[in-house]
Amino acid sequence: MDVAGLARLQFAVTGSLHFLFVVLTLGLAPLVAIMHTRYAITGNPLLERMTRFWGQIYVINYALGILTGLVMEFQFGLSWSGLSHYAGDVFGAPLALETLLAFFLESTFLGLWIFGWHRLPRRLHVACIWLVTLTAYTSALFIMVANSFLQHPVGAAEEGGRLVLRDFGALFTNPTLVFALPHVLGAGLLAGGFVVMGASAYHLFRRTQEREFFTRSLRIGVLTALAGSLITVAFGYAQFGPVGDVQPGKFEGLIPGVSLGLMILIGELIQFTVMLVLAPLLIRDLLARWHWLHPFLMAMTPLPFAAAIFGWLVREVGRQPWLVYGKLSVADALTPGLTRADVIASFAGFAGVLGLLAVVDYALIARAVRRGPGQVALGGADLPLAAEPVPAHSL
Amino acid sequence: MEIFWLLTFAVLLAGYFALEGFDIGLGVLLPVLGRSPAARDRLVGAMAPFVLANEVWLVALAGVLFGAFPVLEGRALSRLYPLVVALLLAWIVRDAGLWFRRRAGASWRPVWEGALTVGSAGLALAWGAILMAVVRGLPASPFDLPGLAAGAALLALLAWHGRTFAAWRLQDGPRRGGRALLLSACAAAVPAAVVMVIVAGHMLANAAPDQTLTVLSVMVVPVAPILVGAQVWVWRTFSKGALPTFF
Repeated sequence: MDVAGLARLQFAVTGSLHFLFVVLTLGLAPLVAIMHTRYAITGNPLLERMTRFWGQIYVINYALGILTGLVMEFQFGLSWSGLSHYAGDVFGAPLALETLLAFFLESTFLGLWIFGWHRLPRRLHVACIWLVTLTAYTSALFIMVANSFLQHPVGAAEEGGRLVLRDFGALFTNPTLVFALPHVLGAGLLAGGFVVMGASAYHLFRRTQEREFFTRSLRIGVLTALAGSLITVAFGYAQFGPVGDVQPGKFEGLIPGVSLGLMILIGELIQFTVMLVLAPLLIRDLLARWHWLHPFLMAMTPLPFAAAIFGWLVREVGRQPWLVYGKLSVADALTPGLTRADVIASFAGFAGVLGLLAVVDYALIARAVRRGPGQVALGGADLPLAAEPVPAHSL
Repeated sequence: MEIFWLLTFAVLLAGYFALEGFDIGLGVLLPVLGRSPAARDRLVGAMAPFVLANEVWLVALAGVLFGAFPVLEGRALSRLYPLVVALLLAWIVRDAGLWFRRRAGASWRPVWEGALTVGSAGLALAWGAILMAVVRGLPASPFDLPGLAAGAALLALLAWHGRTFAAWRLQDGPRRGGRALLLSACAAAVPAAVVMVIVAGHMLANAAPDQTLTVLSVMVVPVAPILVGAQVWVWRTFSKGALPTFF
């Protein structure tokens, strides 16, 4: 494989890893925010436990979203300096806005939410998780604006061999954005719903003490997955029109074609299962009571994640050989003078470290699920400031 | 307009070292200052609520570099390739140490505390070498003696800053040491400020065109008070009292 191929593979691997965690972040954030709000209004202890349990799953998942995101942000300059040279005056703007208007606030408010238990007034604490959700969605908007510009470079004109910004608003009405953004956000809800369903099924199947907790959670998971699947599928099909207009032949290659087929297959399977089987079985809590179904629910948990990766393969591989569609090829965007040794070393480092940490993170999520709502660290007791030895609170 | 974004970049870079500097320094000193598990819990608890709000200064810095100085972004990052890769790996390892320290079983805790310390040291060394390489006009092989020396010097500076922060945050009783912390924060920002003075002219000459900078300004300036307010809120909430235990 040549240098450009290696750099592409590095971007694909780190990008896919990033999205596996981001998609769950997008889905769980609103669920946790709603649970926290209902707890703040009613004071119901069950809702507090749900907020902390699912909030902790959300937070453990978030860690890898950040770590993989850091690599994504810097990779443009590292491997693809031709992109910043040719299109940076346009493409850089949404990325800069993502960091300043979205991620900066998301991370700051998330810190306030994680560590703010027992110290922030209840309303302000709830406001933090809503601000985290809002900024996470804003982040998705700016990233999709940037990506859609690569798919279909609107709002810019070429001057002296470089793109200059002409109409910033056009970036937000890009036909490759308007249906793709809700598609991605729907996929987030789908992933969040499936994780909540799978984890709840585990506890119900094992007949743990937390029957009421997970019966209610299972209901939330199924309803979220239902909403997510409707949004994802509808805005998925809606994209065929605009994509056919601006990127004819997008699905003709082997990888985009096969990925598209698999994504649609999984999407349809999910939609019919959730809509025709799981949602009706919520009546009289049949789904929670029929234990023989629970292994299937657990086994289905990875499906939305697989579909999400196939979706990105369609969108990104289908754009080849262009980095900026019709304007700048991937080969021309590669950083001049980049050597195989450079890319192999950084690829091995990033893929090795992030791959390992992703496995660890999933193991820790599984551990947190297994231990259940009785052993949640999020919102746990503080350490007193005085330095006397205190009995260690086992977590 | 270029001057506004240059100043924004400078404030973010200096602010990153003044704020994230103490997290890095405390991470390096964790095995020295925290001889027992309980002592390490207290040290990590002191910095934990600040880390997320501090490290985003660098994310924002990279965003401003890409948005307002895109040509320099491509040139600088690709010339500094091995150092930036090392910086990112160190950052990832440090953060993994923080996030996972209390999530895994007790037998894994030394592993994640080791990651926290090694990652923090790597961050300081990589930053020292990067700042030195920028001052020297991006030499072809930035891994050399001056780079290492700058890394070691920055490591010592940030360790002192981290120690000052821990002494300030962990005291029980009447508050002292605020002025010392301010001093160490300013000192931690000095190398970044010096680098900014040196590269300012070059950056101004390579800023994005006015259309791009105007869009960025129109979008960011109205939200800037919220950015500042969120940071102030973090400090008001977590700078005294009991220590949170999530990390």
